[in-house]
Amino acid sequence: MIEFDLTMPRLFSEGNGTLTVQLTLETGSLTALTGPSGSGKTSVLRLLSGLDRPSQGRITVDGDIWLDTEQRIKLPPQRRSVGYVFQDSALFPNMTVRENVAYAAPAGQASLIDELIDVTGIRPFVDQKPVRLSGGQRQRVALARALVRRPQLLLLDEPFAALDADSSQALRTVLLDLHRQWGTTTVLVSHYETDVRALADRVVQLQQGRVVRDTTVADWPARSGERIERIHFEEPTQQWVIDTATSQFRSSNPDWQRFSVGDQIRIQ
Amino acid sequence: MPIDWEPIWLTLRLAGITTLFLLLLGIPLAGWLALSRFRLKPVVEALVSLPIVLPPSVVGFYLLLAFSPTSGVGAWLLRTFDLQLVFSFQGLVVASILYSLPFMVHPVQAGLENLPVSWREASYTLGQSPVRTFWRVLLPNCKPALLTGVVLSFAHTIGEFGLVLMIGGNLPGQTRVASIAIYDEVEQLHFETAHTYAALLLGLSFVILLLVYAINKRVTI
Repeated sequence: MIEFDLTMPRLFSEGNGTLTVQLTLETGSLTALTGPSGSGKTSVLRLLSGLDRPSQGRITVDGDIWLDTEQRIKLPPQRRSVGYVFQDSALFPNMTVRENVAYAAPAGQASLIDELIDVTGIRPFVDQKPVRLSGGQRQRVALARALVRRPQLLLLDEPFAALDADSSQALRTVLLDLHRQWGTTTVLVSHYETDVRALADRVVQLQQGRVVRDTTVADWPARSGERIERIHFEEPTQQWVIDTATSQFRSSNPDWQRFSVGDQIRIQ
Repeated sequence: MPIDWEPIWLTLRLAGITTLFLLLLGIPLAGWLALSRFRLKPVVEALVSLPIVLPPSVVGFYLLLAFSPTSGVGAWLLRTFDLQLVFSFQGLVVASILYSLPFMVHPVQAGLENLPVSWREASYTLGQSPVRTFWRVLLPNCKPALLTGVVLSFAHTIGEFGLVLMIGGNLPGQTRVASIAIYDEVEQLHFETAHTYAALLLGLSFVILLLVYAINKRVTI
C-alpha cells in the first residue's frame, strides 16, 4: 500500500496556489490522475518519484518511509523503487533499444530483459537507435525500461499524448497485459478519457492542486457537455488544443478553429 | 637554408599534451558547472572565462610571478618536485592549460546544458547515480560539443604567442614554439624562414579545422 500526503506551493494555470494531495493507493491498483492542464498532475508524479521536493509531506510504501519532511527523511529518486515513463519517452539516443532496456537492469537479469522485450513487442527493432522509432514504439521501449527494476510504483506521465489512435491502442493493450501479469501499483496521468476508462480502476480528478473527485472508474460520470476554458493552436504538433475543466482534447481538424472560449462541446 | 622542424614539433607536442590535460580537467569541470546548483558557481565561471578577456601578457605576467623560484609557489615546486616552471616546457604546458581552459569548458558546458533534463531524470529514476548518468548518458550525447572543445583547445594552443613569450622565452628545443620562431626570424630579417613557418602553421590550422568540420557533420549520437 502506498500512502502519501504532499503539499507544495506551485504556479497553476489559474495562478499561484498550493498543491495539496492526500491519497492511499492499494497495492496492484491502477489510478488515473485527470484534470485540466496545469492542475498539478505531473507535479504529483514528480513528488512521488523524488524529482521534486515538497514543502511538507510524507510518502510511505509498504511501511517504508520514502519521504517525511518532519523527520527530515528524503530518499533521492535513485533509492525509490519507481519506474517513470516520461511524456517524451526520454530514451537515451546513444544506446540501442536493448541497451536502453538493459541500462538499469540488475546483474544477471538477461531473461527479464528478454521477457520485457517480448511482452512490450519491441523485439523487431531491438538493435535500432531510438531516433529511428515512431512515438508509439518509443513509449513501449520506455515502458520496458521503467519496469526492468521491477519497481513498486510505476508512474506514467501522459504516455499517449503524442500518439495516433492506432499507436495508443497498441500501447493500451501492452499496458493492460503488463499490469495484469505484474500487478505493479501504477499512477497514470492522462487527458484522454478512452485511455482512463480502458486502463484505470480508480479516477482522481485534480483542479488547481486539489482533489475534486475520487471515484471508481465505473462511477466516473460519462461526459455530456463541457465548457471550453482555453483553446490554442500548438505549432510543433500542428494541432488545435482545447482545455475544459476536466480534460484536454487535440485535433488537427481545421474545423476546430471555429471554437472559442465558453463554447459547450460534447465529447463522443 | 634547411628548415629547422623543431619549433613545429614542439608546437604540436605542446598542443597535444595541453589538450589531453584539458580533457581530463575540463570535462569534469564543465559537467559540474552545467549540473551544479552551487551558489558560488558564477565565481568559478568568471575565473574560468578570464583568459578570454585578458591580454595574454597579463596572464603571462602573473604566471611568471607565481612560477618564479623566488615566489611561494615556485619555491615550493622547486623544493618539493625539483620542478622549475619558468622558461621550461613543463611551465608552458601548465600555462597553456590555464589559458586554454575556457575553450574546452565552454563548449562542453553548453552541450551538456542543452540536453533535455528528462534524460538525466530518467536515469535517476532508474536508480543510477549522477556520476554514472554523466558518463553513460550525458557525455556520450555531447560528442559534437566535445569535438569542438578539443579542436578549439588544440588550435588555441598552437596560436599562443604572448603567454609563451612571457613564461617560456625563446629556448630552442624547450620553449621555442612556431609562433616564437616566426617572430624571432622576422626580427633577424629572415623572411623566407619566417614565411615557411607561417605557411606551415596556416596550412596545419586549416587542415585541422577542415577535418573537424567534416567529421562533425558525420558525427551521430
